[in-house]
Amino acid sequence: MTTHIPAAPHSADSPPTLDRRALLVGGGAVVAGLGGYQLLKPLWQPHSSVFIAKGQRYDGPIEQTILDGLLAGGLDPRALAGRKVLLKVNLVEPTRTAPQVTTHPAMVLATAEVFRRWGAQVVVGEASGHMRDTEMALVESGMTPALDSAGLEFVDLNYEDVAWVKNAGRASKLDGFYLPRPVMEADLIVSMPKLKTHHWVGLTVSLKNMYGVLPGIKYGWPKNVLHHAGIPQTVFDINASLPKTIAVVDGIVGMEGDGPIMGSPKKLGLIVVGTNLAAVDATCARIIGLDPARVNYLQLSADRIGPIAEGRIAQRGEDWRQVASPFVLLDRPELQRLRLAPGVCVS
Amino acid sequence: MPWIDDILKRLAAETAWSYRAGGTLAAEPLSLAALALAGHGHIADSRRACQRLASLANADGSVGPKLGEPAPGWPTGLAVLAWTALANKTPDPFADFSKRGVAWLLASSGETSPRNADIGHDSSLRGWPWVQGTHSWIEPTAINVLALKATGRNEHPRTREAVRLLIDRLLPEGGCNYGNTTVFGQALRPHLEPSGLALAALTGEGDASGRIERTIAYLEQTLNRETTSLSLAYGLIGLAAHDRTPRVAEAWLESAAGRGGREAAPYKQALLALAALKGECPLIALSRTLVGSDGCQQRRSPGTHS
Repeated sequence: MTTHIPAAPHSADSPPTLDRRALLVGGGAVVAGLGGYQLLKPLWQPHSSVFIAKGQRYDGPIEQTILDGLLAGGLDPRALAGRKVLLKVNLVEPTRTAPQVTTHPAMVLATAEVFRRWGAQVVVGEASGHMRDTEMALVESGMTPALDSAGLEFVDLNYEDVAWVKNAGRASKLDGFYLPRPVMEADLIVSMPKLKTHHWVGLTVSLKNMYGVLPGIKYGWPKNVLHHAGIPQTVFDINASLPKTIAVVDGIVGMEGDGPIMGSPKKLGLIVVGTNLAAVDATCARIIGLDPARVNYLQLSADRIGPIAEGRIAQRGEDWRQVASPFVLLDRPELQRLRLAPGVCVS
Repeated sequence: MPWIDDILKRLAAETAWSYRAGGTLAAEPLSLAALALAGHGHIADSRRACQRLASLANADGSVGPKLGEPAPGWPTGLAVLAWTALANKTPDPFADFSKRGVAWLLASSGETSPRNADIGHDSSLRGWPWVQGTHSWIEPTAINVLALKATGRNEHPRTREAVRLLIDRLLPEGGCNYGNTTVFGQALRPHLEPSGLALAALTGEGDASGRIERTIAYLEQTLNRETTSLSLAYGLIGLAAHDRTPRVAEAWLESAAGRGGREAAPYKQALLALAALKGECPLIALSRTLVGSDGCQQRRSPGTHS
């Protein structure tokens, strides 16, 4: 379990000063493997930064945007040379008729290129939640030609050999998790979700995306073990138990309404990057009109995975208020109550 | 056909039947390899695969997904099918494994719950889960229906209830996915691979709702030469289970068998070889020999393999 380090709140008008050096400590620990992870946990920062870029297009210079975002988050390129980086995409149930379900291949290629430029060994991985035919998932998502064109290896996390790790979160009844070997061996896992609403828990971004590191051969299709143990609890537990994660969010075209599968496309033009998944998701929640403090798994994650309070998240790039665009939610009271309180000013 | 011979040679030469080339031994690809080898008459090779499968069996009769991973037991039905297919061709050295596997299947079931207006399917029906303690889903239920039918339990109450579950989980417009039909009133999308497997398990079943026929139509309209190997194989097996194999099936399968990379895995190659058997594919043929085309019961007594 992480240690909660109390900190004085900062106002949104005067975000905490996060010098690059401070984040380099985190960045260095991030890539130091499991041993480094143990060091990183107590070093958890009471503040984090999240980078937002607007006006992004899949056919635009998004590689530069992602690079800028990672540097703004304090990742040290020198520390990544020779390291294993796993890009964990979202291919939960791909279909070419609804590309808003899955991470866009252009995001994956751009992110891979950034890490390759820094000398990292990059693989792309996913344990598709609803489809056993992973090749079909890759074809339907448009990922096959992208991976082939870049010579990127794909690891099918549904079927890989596994290792057991203790549940470091303990919000659910699960004692531990079976993680595929490529996840255990990665020096850095980059959560690459699509920014979507979720009809059970409000939204799904970088934390919920980590459901997809758990292998189907141990958890099923869908990963019903996690549903039975509680979605918010297991989202928190998985992320508390995973080492070394950062996030690069595909918010260029998101999904609103009946997400995460049957919702409608929502054009935002955003890329969101950060080295703390709770801070990234809290920011994304605000962007789509949700109060992160009302989202159960973000409540659980607050100050344990990372900060979700606005005053403790330094905005890099755009201010979330300038790019906010409330998403349509299903007309269900448990979802509507997640909305930001009236009066929260967004442009 | 040369491409099938090549696959069978590779399957026979395998020592680690796996999900991907160079992967580790796993019960599902091993079971499918044993079935493919038995179906194509390679009895000695199938026996060797079945022996390896027996080494993965737990004391309680279940079979876990991989060597060193004794749980969850969802591959048990596949193992029972492999042992039963071999038993049809040769004196049965694995009868005890099959008997204990079936006992484990009958003692396990998915969690049920009262019907919920938010969910389209009948959650009170019992089938099988991927993992004990969770809900029933399409694929483990279909696999275990095939296993129970193959071992002479077509009329067993668990088989009948699971058949009702499978039909209930087919989408109103045909096809199915992992096992949800509608959520919050929104119909979900079908996928080829579970649709084919469900149709295989529903061989010989009547359906006044028309969902089986619409699922056949979905597969007929959607399968094509470019379909990925797993979905193509299960789709064709599902159609064969209802005597609707398309004329171009062999060409499609041969094309798929020629693919490299991830598609060249022993798991997928075994399925392509099984699909090439059409109606003689042991996944469905074992059920069909038990329920005659005239509807008369022609199966062994339930205790034959018990």
